[in-house]
Amino acid sequence: MARIALIIRPGGDLPIYRQIVRQVQEAIVGSRLEAGERLPSHRELAKELVIAPLTVKRAYDELERAGLIRSSRGRGTFVEALLEKGNEALRLEGLRPQVRQLVHEAHLSNIDLEALTALLNEEAERVDEVRGKGLGEEGSS
Amino acid sequence: MNIVEFRGIHRSMDRGMEVLHGIDLKVEAGEVVALLGANGAGKTTLLRIAVGLLHPHRGTVRLFGLGYEEGALEIKQRLGYVSESELLLASSTVEGIFEVHRALFPTWDSSLESRLRRRFGLSGGRLRFGTLSKGKKRQVALLCAVAHRPELLILDEPASGLDPAARRELLEVAVEALNEGSTLLFSSHHMQDVERLAARVALIHDGRLLLDRPLDELRESFTLAVLPTESSVTMADLRRVEGCLGARVSNQTLRAVFEGTPQAVQADLAQYSKFDGLICSRPSLEDFFVETVEGQP
Repeated sequence: MARIALIIRPGGDLPIYRQIVRQVQEAIVGSRLEAGERLPSHRELAKELVIAPLTVKRAYDELERAGLIRSSRGRGTFVEALLEKGNEALRLEGLRPQVRQLVHEAHLSNIDLEALTALLNEEAERVDEVRGKGLGEEGSS
Repeated sequence: MNIVEFRGIHRSMDRGMEVLHGIDLKVEAGEVVALLGANGAGKTTLLRIAVGLLHPHRGTVRLFGLGYEEGALEIKQRLGYVSESELLLASSTVEGIFEVHRALFPTWDSSLESRLRRRFGLSGGRLRFGTLSKGKKRQVALLCAVAHRPELLILDEPASGLDPAARRELLEVAVEALNEGSTLLFSSHHMQDVERLAARVALIHDGRLLLDRPLDELRESFTLAVLPTESSVTMADLRRVEGCLGARVSNQTLRAVFEGTPQAVQADLAQYSKFDGLICSRPSLEDFFVETVEGQP
């Protein structure tokens, strides 16, 4: 089973399920979780983090909708191949709410689109650095 | 199925003062519902009605589809309850208390009992309940509430007065019960515990249900708005805005809770120049509780 260390903070800025979603996303993007690895079950993670199993379910549902993990009945929950071409449109669509909020917030803060795009590129470069070149090649194959 | 169903519950105290003014609340199988409210709001009274220690003066309460008139024994065997005050007999020994519970509950799980006794350091059992520390007493009560693997667990401020480690241990036991499929209805003043366990929050204020919403919705679809008091806006102005749940003056600021995301509320109120200087953000559960309860007219 994938060993993934999560730290949740009840009372933090985000609800607990979103904290889990974010940290799992980061672990996948940062290659700490690899495609095919099995995630802990709802119950296991609930016990580990001392939170309601339903909260874990909600987080996993969200990650599954985003195409990052897949649950199969009886077998467990697995990390999806992040760079698989097939469901890219779906995964992209999953990001729409965050992008919408980002654009909205930029608008409220009087930031123009060009500056926002530059910021996005900057962050993308940082992620590339973390993931290293190997994964980049895999993505283009 | 509704595991708990309160319908139009009214209850007065001995001197005739009504403390619950018609509460309607349902808890479905597998749900975790947190009952929030200021001290004296009526939470304990409602929970005592749920477990059959008090009866409503008007309205009905049903558990597992049964009323207490016809199904008191069955209800009590399917239910686990921990109250803030100690209901167990001070002169009984710990072992004596467990013995009684073993006899009362056909579904009592002796291996779970031994596991929890080891974990809580209650292996001995010759001590009298009345001589135990507050933390130990609560552990005995918790063990009695969960060892028959109840379908429904009702906890009334279970963590009050416990140190952080004992509180965490209690949460761990509650999570184990949830993992087994129990339904949970609990009251708490610890907002972090509420976030850990609850999927739904029922807020009681002055004996009325003020709000009943999914927890994540409170965190994500509501807004805490703060405004300096020098502005020309009054508390009444804020309360008149659609979606305002509560507003109050706190030191140098006006504080209010609105339904809607911070972006939407900010954009909404930006139309009026008098709301200049307004800051909107997502409320923490504590913000939500304090501003809504304190912000009532």
